[in-house]
Amino acid sequence: MLNKKLAIIDLSKEKVKIEETPDSLRKKLLGGRGLNIYYLNKYLKSGAEPLSPDNVLIFGAGLLTGTLTPSSSRYNVSAKSPETGFLGDANCGGFFGPELRYAGFDRLIILGKAKKPSYLYLCDGKIEIRDAGPYWSKDTYEVQQSLRNDLGPCESAVCGVAGEKLVRFACVRTGVKNAAGRCGLGAVMGSKNLKAVVAQGTGGIKIKHPDQMQKLAEEIKKYLFSSKISPLLGKLGTPLLYEVSNAIGAIRTKNSQLNAWSDSLNAEEIEKYVEKMISCSSCMMHCRHRNTFGGEGPEYTAVGMFGANIGLENPAQVIQLNNLANELGLDISSSGTILAWVFELYERGIINKEKTGGLELKFGDFELAQKLLRMISRREGFGDMLAESTQAVKIFGESSRDYLIAVKNLPQSDPHDVRYIKAFALGIATASRGADHLRSRPTLEIFSKLPPEVKERIYGTKITDPTILDEKEKAVYFSEHIFAAVDSLGICKFICHGFNSPHFLDYSYFKKLIKAATGWEFSEKDLEETGRRVIDLERIFNAREGLTKEDDTLPKRYFDDPMPLKISKGHHVDRVQFASALARYYQLRDWTEEGMLKAERIKELESIK
Amino acid sequence: MKYLYVYPELCTGCRECSLACSLTKFGECNPKKAAISVVRDEFERFEYPIICLHCSDALCQKFCPQNAYYPENGILKWDKNKCIKCRFCATVCPYAAITIMDNEIIKCDLCNGDPKCVKVCSTQAIRYEEETHELTDQRNTLAKKVLGK
Repeated sequence: MLNKKLAIIDLSKEKVKIEETPDSLRKKLLGGRGLNIYYLNKYLKSGAEPLSPDNVLIFGAGLLTGTLTPSSSRYNVSAKSPETGFLGDANCGGFFGPELRYAGFDRLIILGKAKKPSYLYLCDGKIEIRDAGPYWSKDTYEVQQSLRNDLGPCESAVCGVAGEKLVRFACVRTGVKNAAGRCGLGAVMGSKNLKAVVAQGTGGIKIKHPDQMQKLAEEIKKYLFSSKISPLLGKLGTPLLYEVSNAIGAIRTKNSQLNAWSDSLNAEEIEKYVEKMISCSSCMMHCRHRNTFGGEGPEYTAVGMFGANIGLENPAQVIQLNNLANELGLDISSSGTILAWVFELYERGIINKEKTGGLELKFGDFELAQKLLRMISRREGFGDMLAESTQAVKIFGESSRDYLIAVKNLPQSDPHDVRYIKAFALGIATASRGADHLRSRPTLEIFSKLPPEVKERIYGTKITDPTILDEKEKAVYFSEHIFAAVDSLGICKFICHGFNSPHFLDYSYFKKLIKAATGWEFSEKDLEETGRRVIDLERIFNAREGLTKEDDTLPKRYFDDPMPLKISKGHHVDRVQFASALARYYQLRDWTEEGMLKAERIKELESIK
Repeated sequence: MKYLYVYPELCTGCRECSLACSLTKFGECNPKKAAISVVRDEFERFEYPIICLHCSDALCQKFCPQNAYYPENGILKWDKNKCIKCRFCATVCPYAAITIMDNEIIKCDLCNGDPKCVKVCSTQAIRYEEETHELTDQRNTLAKKVLGK
């Protein structure tokens, strides 16, 4: 279990150092996202320019990644984000994370910049920095297939041309659809002349108590499939969320000018284009769509961002844009948000044909969206400006900021219009990497049929009304901790307690899995405390990079423009109530009134070794 | 007699079967060190589990110079003590169902009637069934298809 190594790879000096990860560290932060932030704080010099050799890029598998633990396919990629200037951290499924461990490694810390296009080849405890000349200028599918042709079966995490061109929302891709998608980590690869990390391993992960792990896997299978939602998630995947949100008018539509959209994007319509549902490594849920247009997906995010948000109704077109963005290696959340933003800016006359290079921008234009995605990935013409993501405010003028749906410079991921659902609103405002639902998604807020007692047991508050901010800090607090814990364990949030369901795996299961794998005793409290530690370490990182209380906020539109449609009509986030909720959140976190960690806590965290 | 049957069209490629196998046999999670292998490629768009079929006139048994293979109650077993690790069995198996790794011959023994791989498969892509059930199912499907039922 604990026989996998930590590698520190200096691309500038062409040196590789292989070390052990101390057990004491694993016991405090598990792995994945938790250990990544520890090492990022340790290795990254404050104020480093994200696209310079000074940035530090970390690939880290979770403590349980690659084991029989259901849905344990995940790993995290972390660096300083070129899109936001703050924490860049993205969690990814597929098969690369497990293969990284089978190849002998838990974690790679990548420093410097290679003199020429390179890739890392990891095989059974050894690492080589190899020439990536033949793979450069290739998009994400072609490079992975070429690597398999040349090296035999292997798993790779790669960047596309978008990464090479330093598009600020280029993702790290593995497989057809899996991505460490957010925060522009593909551009960090590009900036380091690193085209791919290739793993090819034959080494197993030793398990302390094999029988216990087998029994737990069987038990979890029974438990997961005793829920009605599991077969649905395996049949429809995340697009099933679209209808639920659309029904209440909480779907970001046309850059959040509207809040509801067409039924033509409901999961049943998407399903018509699905050839087969497939899995990531170790996953029993199989929520990935192999679509009939030659790709995989779409997730709910793609349905929202390439559907409602840019004004497209045709599911076939949405799926084709999803496939294109995946192949180009662009983050779909940022792509769809940035496109919708500039469409509105154009409609409002804030930008014109002079800026767009003669292009007429409008919502609901499939060919235009396709063209722009390609232009972004190559930084061609107007695409060069869009490739700057939220930093394009500098190009389009300060007034453009008012229409930008982003927090901490990160375009919002979740298609949810959070003006109606206030725990979600607080969640994207406090999320450590910027506007993102995968840091806290307090899902149970919108489960109107769930008895308040159940919500109270989980969140510590009853939550009967999604539209108010009262007590919502507790839902965010709970969710941020458990998500940080699963991200550190390497387990998918899809089977995590509170993400899709009030059931599924909670700390009581995690402690049993950890014990089976390592023999270590953790209490539920210890695990929650691990989550809290991760959040605090991420806050230290962000504070060091200049984040202040002012950055824990929402897009202007969410405060000032009431929603126009359906039962959400009239709802917005009140600034005074929001400030008060944020203050309660800080208090709950035992942060200062300015949202910073107290000196004592910093000292405590700095003593972790 | 019960055997393992695979249904590639139901396989999602997760490899829980292989992981359960390696965990049971070697105490480690390693999808490549297992008696059941899932061949998959997301770009080629396929998943295909490969398992020993326990042939009654098995080539591995026929060609093993050491007679390390022997049938026992319908299960084709392999005797570690007789094996000289020549790997010939793996090369002659028409289904490539024998795995060689770390100088080990890895061959399905149906976990002595309690196969662990089946227990963690969430789509019934591997089933442990009586021979007759398998055929009955296939015949029913065929009949319905022909009759348009």
